[in-house]
Amino acid sequence: MTKIRKGFFRYDNVGMLFVLPAFIYMISFVGYPIIYNFILSLQNVTVKNLRTGQHEFVTFKNYIDLFTHDDVLVRSIVNTLVFTVACLIFQFLIGFALALFFNREFWLSRPVRGLMMIPWMIPITISGLIFKFMFSNDVGIINFFLKTLGIVKDNIEWLTNPKTAMPAVIMTNIWIGIPFNMILLAAGLTTIPSELYESASIDGASKVQRLFRITLPLLRPTIESVLILGFIYTFKVYDLVYVMTTGGPVNATQLLSTYSYKLSFDMFKYSQGAAVANILFIVLFLVSLLYLRFIDTEIET
Amino acid sequence: MKNYRWLIAVLVLATMLIGLFTGCGAKEEQTPVTESPEVSTQAPTGSDKSEGGSDLPSGNVTIWYYWETEGHQKALNTLIQRFNDSQDRITVQAKYVPFADMKKQLSIGASAGELPDLVILDNPDHAAFAAMGIFADITDEFDVSTYYPGPINSCTLDGRLYGVPFGSNCLLLFYNVDMLEAAGQKVPTTWDELLEVAKALTTDKVYGFAHCALQNEEGTFNFLPYIWSTGATSYEINSEGGIKALNMMKKLVDSGVFPKEAINWTQGDTMHQFISGNLAMMINGTWQVPTMRETVPDLNWNVAPIPQDKQQASGLGGENYAVIAGGNEKAAIEFLKFATEKDNCLFMMQSMGYIAPNSTIAEGQFTGDPIYEAFVEEMNYAMARGPLPEWPDISDAISLAFNEVITGAATPEDAAAKAQATIDEILGK
Repeated sequence: MTKIRKGFFRYDNVGMLFVLPAFIYMISFVGYPIIYNFILSLQNVTVKNLRTGQHEFVTFKNYIDLFTHDDVLVRSIVNTLVFTVACLIFQFLIGFALALFFNREFWLSRPVRGLMMIPWMIPITISGLIFKFMFSNDVGIINFFLKTLGIVKDNIEWLTNPKTAMPAVIMTNIWIGIPFNMILLAAGLTTIPSELYESASIDGASKVQRLFRITLPLLRPTIESVLILGFIYTFKVYDLVYVMTTGGPVNATQLLSTYSYKLSFDMFKYSQGAAVANILFIVLFLVSLLYLRFIDTEIET
Repeated sequence: MKNYRWLIAVLVLATMLIGLFTGCGAKEEQTPVTESPEVSTQAPTGSDKSEGGSDLPSGNVTIWYYWETEGHQKALNTLIQRFNDSQDRITVQAKYVPFADMKKQLSIGASAGELPDLVILDNPDHAAFAAMGIFADITDEFDVSTYYPGPINSCTLDGRLYGVPFGSNCLLLFYNVDMLEAAGQKVPTTWDELLEVAKALTTDKVYGFAHCALQNEEGTFNFLPYIWSTGATSYEINSEGGIKALNMMKKLVDSGVFPKEAINWTQGDTMHQFISGNLAMMINGTWQVPTMRETVPDLNWNVAPIPQDKQQASGLGGENYAVIAGGNEKAAIEFLKFATEKDNCLFMMQSMGYIAPNSTIAEGQFTGDPIYEAFVEEMNYAMARGPLPEWPDISDAISLAFNEVITGAATPEDAAAKAQATIDEILGK
């Protein structure tokens, strides 16, 4: 025994051995696909050579083609950013307001807060279909309300007009994402000791002051996590847009995720699809690094 | 104590590693399949039963199909049951793959070597998969001289036959007879008449005319008859005819008779709008007839050729059978021969509301049923999309063009020029 305990198999190193299975798992099931996808994006794999195995190496031609050939990729990037930022801002503000609201214990506050989780629990395809019906031009309930209330005269062509399709999809995703923001922020709020508020109010701090001087600073770690996780979740949304508009009309709601799928499995341009997926991956990778950095600095402080 | 912990750690680790390596081992065995297209995981099963020494094909045959309608699934299962009962060498089984996943599954399966032995797929995709090399060349196995040219074209690549048509359908104009009579209108036969009649039929609640205009293959299928009717081909969108077709689309939308929302309607959605009375006329296909008859037996509707510009034209739809190269090919071909026999083919066609692709079977298939007879007649004008391995690309350019026109994002001329540039590049002009 004592012999083995020297060298690599020291007791201190046993921990590394425990990590090994997870490490091997990550390398084979996460690392390998990422690397393979990157290689795929540098080749020219189409229907004609998918099975022959003779994949021409074209370096960055796929990326250059995607950027220069037509404007769909640039549009997808802009769309994805607009979609993500708009969703994030509104989801966060509304979620935060609701979290503050439900943080005050009142009659039925708990069951109602539970009900607020429903949008997060419904499968996204179902929500997408429901909103597709609600946004329908002639028989949709949203146009019906707007017309009855006299806000608009003519039906808004929500999902069939390139200008309004994106707002409609964003609204749907905000509705879905609010509970996620609310529940995480509400959990963060419970960690702030009530004594702080009590002493602040004795000192004569107003409600607004209490929000900006106590709640927000103490909630900062939670807010950072919520925003970054929210960014990652929103940036890779696929199913909702696929169900509601399939990226249309005329690519008005084409996101990086839907475009990548379309290139790969509708048009069989596997390499270009992989290239788009890589662009999506790089953005998410950078944001994830940012997130890890935030977490690290928090632990240090 | 410390020693025990160390021992446990090693034991746990060993167990985990063994698990991992066996996992890897199993994976290893499959890897060669990826590199050599001739070998498939299905191949060994073919030789399982053939120990009897005879050369007759045997083993298991797996079929992939995508019909979600229960009636269609039952029909296929009945056919398979009949075949399995007719002999005891080959066992056929069917596996349902959702339509939306079919292309993805086939291309993933192609690179991972996990394909069925036989597949029933949408005919415009046939050429792409044939070019991928996953379909067996069965030119010498079948006599297809009596088949309609459209369906056969869709199975052919470079003069070789890579499949057999399963069944066909085509598009016609469906109209609500009562609405037409109430408005005192006749069935339109030309584009001008179509516009005029559709205007007369449009009210607050009813749109005069629509068809699926999705920005995908389904939309392209419904739009192409406009282009073909002008005498242009699918590849000549920036021609006099192509621009005229796009202009017709624009006129229909601008005059308010054609709902813009059709860009989000599948053909099924369009049919539901029609039977709910929200639509007076639509373009739709053969396969809707059984559902419509069952759902709204009292609705008074009829079909007519699609209104034309210069010549009668319709889109050819339907599925093809394709034998997977390297699968249990011989057994799959034996099943195919059985399935394309007159009685069996007729059984499938009748249960599914399809038209037999073999003209000798199709003639007399629907005697006494004027609606189906109209579809059989229209088969003579139905044109196949492609066949071209890059058809999905071309289709995307065409569907983008008419979507731009419908939504007003581009003029017909600009949309046509842009689509033509894409098409020319694909065709290598």
